[in-house]
Amino acid sequence: MTKKRTLVFLFIVAVIIAALVAGIVLTDGLYEKTGNVNETMQDAVLHEGDKINFFGLRVNPAVISGFVVTGILLVFAAAVRLFVIPKFTYVPNKFQLLLEQAVGMFEGLAKNNSPHRNGFLGAYLFAAGTYICVGTLFELIGIPWMTAAGASVTLPAPLADINGAIMMGCLSYIVILSGGILSNGLRGVGRTLKEFSLPISMSFRLFGALLSGLLVTELVYSYLALSFVLPVIVGVLFTILHALIQTYVLTMLTALFYGEVSEPPVLKPKKQKQKKVPSEVNPK
Amino acid sequence: MQWDIAAVPLNIDWQQILLHLLNFVILFAGLYLLLYKPVKAFMQKRKAHYEEMEKTATEKNAAADRAKTEYEGKLASADHEIEEKRAAAKKELDGYEQMRKNAAEEEADAILAEARKKAAEEKRHAIRSARREISALVSSATEKLVLKETAHEAYDQFLNVVEKKDGPDQEQSENEEPKT
Repeated sequence: MTKKRTLVFLFIVAVIIAALVAGIVLTDGLYEKTGNVNETMQDAVLHEGDKINFFGLRVNPAVISGFVVTGILLVFAAAVRLFVIPKFTYVPNKFQLLLEQAVGMFEGLAKNNSPHRNGFLGAYLFAAGTYICVGTLFELIGIPWMTAAGASVTLPAPLADINGAIMMGCLSYIVILSGGILSNGLRGVGRTLKEFSLPISMSFRLFGALLSGLLVTELVYSYLALSFVLPVIVGVLFTILHALIQTYVLTMLTALFYGEVSEPPVLKPKKQKQKKVPSEVNPK
Repeated sequence: MQWDIAAVPLNIDWQQILLHLLNFVILFAGLYLLLYKPVKAFMQKRKAHYEEMEKTATEKNAAADRAKTEYEGKLASADHEIEEKRAAAKKELDGYEQMRKNAAEEEADAILAEARKKAAEEKRHAIRSARREISALVSSATEKLVLKETAHEAYDQFLNVVEKKDGPDQEQSENEEPKT
C-alpha cells in the first residue's frame, strides 16, 4: 500500500467514526415514543376507536377502502372498455400488452391448475388477484378519512382488516366447493370438505401477511429516529412485495384446490371374477 | 343463555364481512364485463385469426407440394413420352428411308431394264439396217461385177467396200447367228 493510499484509508475511517459518534450523541433524545405502541397496534387490528359512518352503519376503515378501491378499478375498467379496447390491434402496443398479460396470466393459471373446468375460475382469479394487488398497493396512497368520532384516519388496505380477509378466504373456499359440486357432485363436496381448514388458513394467511406489514410500518412510524429513509424501504418496498406475493399465493392456492376437487374421478377397472374351473377328478 | 353473534374475538363482524362480499361481487361483475371478457374475446379472436392463417398456409403448402409432385410426375412422364416419340419417329424415318431406297432400287432396275431393252432394240435396228446395207452393197457389187470386165477385179472391189462399211459391227455379227 502506498503512502497516499494509507492516508486516504485513515481519513475515511476517521470520518466514519466521527459520523457515528455524532449520530450517537445527537440522536439520544429522538428515541421517544410518539404514542402508546400497544394502543396503536391494537387499534390497527381491532379498529375499535376509528369506526367510520357508512350510510348509518359503523364500519371499519377497510370497508371504505374496499369500496374506494372498487370504485377506482371500475372507473379504470370502464375507461379502458370505452377508449382502449375498441382500438386493440393484432400487434399490441405496451398498454394492450399489459392488459393481455394480466388477463392471460390468470386465465393460464386457471387452465394449468384446473384443466377440466376453468371458465369461471379464470374470471374469479382475475378479479380476486386484481383486488388483492391493487387493494394492498392502495395503502401507499394514504387517503385520509373522517371517523365517526370526528378524528382523521388514513385508509388502510381493504384486506388488512380481518373481515375483508375472512370474506376473501371464505369466498375462495365457496368457489372451490362450487367447482367440486359442479364437476363431481357429492364426491366433489367430500373432496372440498376434506380441506375444512382451508378457509381459515387462507383468511388468516392473508390477514396476517397484510397486518404484519401494517404493524411493522406502525412500529417504525412510532419512533421519530426511524422515520427517516427507513419508511421508504418498509413502507414502499414491503407493500409492493406483499401485494405481489399475496396475490400470487391466494390465486395459486384457489386454482390448485379448485383443480383438485373438479378433477373427474378415475374409475378403477372392475376385477372380473374368475370362474372356478372344475377340479380334475382325483384319482384317489 | 343467549349467544351473542356479534361478540366474536378479533372484532370479526358478520355485517362487515357481508359488506366486503357485496363490494367484491360488484367488483367481480364489473371487471368481468368491462375488462376480462372483452380482452379475452379479443385474444381468442386474434388466436382464431392466426390459426386460420396458419391453416391456410398449411393448406397452400400442401397444395404446392401436391402440384410439385404432380409436375415432377408429369415431367418424368413427358421425358418418357418424348423418348417414345423419338423412337417411333426414328422407326418411321428408318421405314421411310427403307421404302425410298427400295423405290429407288426398283426405279433403277426399271431404268436399267429399259436401257437394256432400248439397247437391244437399237442393236437389232442397227443389225437390220446393216443387213439392208450389206444386201444393197451386195446387189450393187454384183451389178458392178457383172458390169466389170473381169470378175477378179470386181471381187476385190467388193471386198474393199465390205471391209470399209462393216468394220465396227463385225464382231457382233460374228457372235450372233444371222437370221435368214
